[in-house]
Amino acid sequence: MSNPESAELLPFIVYFCAVVLLVATMLILSWLLGQRRQNKSTNMPFESGVLSVGSSQIRLSVEFYLIAIFFVIFDLETVFIFAWAIAFFELGWYGFFAILVFILVLTVALIYEWRSGALDWGVKTRTGIGES
Amino acid sequence: MIPFLFYMAAAIALVSTVLALTRSNAAHALIYLIISLLAVAVVFFLLGAPFAAALEIVIYAGAIMVLFVFVIMMLNLGEEGDQRERGWLEPGVWIVPAILAAALMIETVAVISMTEGMTSGEMVSAKAVGIKLFGPYVLAVEIASMLLLAGLVGAYHVGRRLSERRRGGIS
Repeated sequence: MSNPESAELLPFIVYFCAVVLLVATMLILSWLLGQRRQNKSTNMPFESGVLSVGSSQIRLSVEFYLIAIFFVIFDLETVFIFAWAIAFFELGWYGFFAILVFILVLTVALIYEWRSGALDWGVKTRTGIGES
Repeated sequence: MIPFLFYMAAAIALVSTVLALTRSNAAHALIYLIISLLAVAVVFFLLGAPFAAALEIVIYAGAIMVLFVFVIMMLNLGEEGDQRERGWLEPGVWIVPAILAAALMIETVAVISMTEGMTSGEMVSAKAVGIKLFGPYVLAVEIASMLLLAGLVGAYHVGRRLSERRRGGIS
């Protein structure tokens, strides 16, 4: 197998066209079916009939960003598992124990996060090793 | 067909990176950066490294850019953020990094012109990457897991202390 031939690019081209078609369909349908009235309150956010006041520039809790960072790290873990899984039969038991150690180390991290309340949202109710 | 696709992807990467640098709205800059990363993924694929291309999309354009977009949108800097960004586009701010980057580029071009054929032209399948990764480089994989563990615990503790400081030092 040398450079990817045009035949191998064909699934990509089909996939790309399908994506463009899907997005275009969604946009056109919502444009056709959506309302086009322009009152002075059309673009006002609906908040259960209550008029909203103040600016939307509020400070949000850092916990939301923490969840995103955890997502990135566990996403990286998935990449290693993926690399192992596609070479599963070639790697055999050796690769199995290698990935087992890898997953165990990250399970320790997950248990630590869980027990110390890093995965809790809002008010912290759990008391664990991370607190004190 | 392949060289044409390669140069198109490379041109898209360059143009979108320049646009990402010059936007004053951080959210717009990030969207150009995502396009740049996707174009680099296409370049990787055309060079015969589909696994690297998939990583570029899954990790960079997927996870890391989602994190960036998430933070930028949640921070919600608005008009004052734009003003500050516009101030950073003054030549006095970017001239030194630009000179250093240009020096690196000259160095890279010199290195590439000295050696023949930086890429073997062979397709490296994802399976080959897996066999190598869990064969000779298995220690690096285990070290990576330790690094991820440290990253998880470190991120939690840095974030936790900040959130508690804001609440008035509840420990």
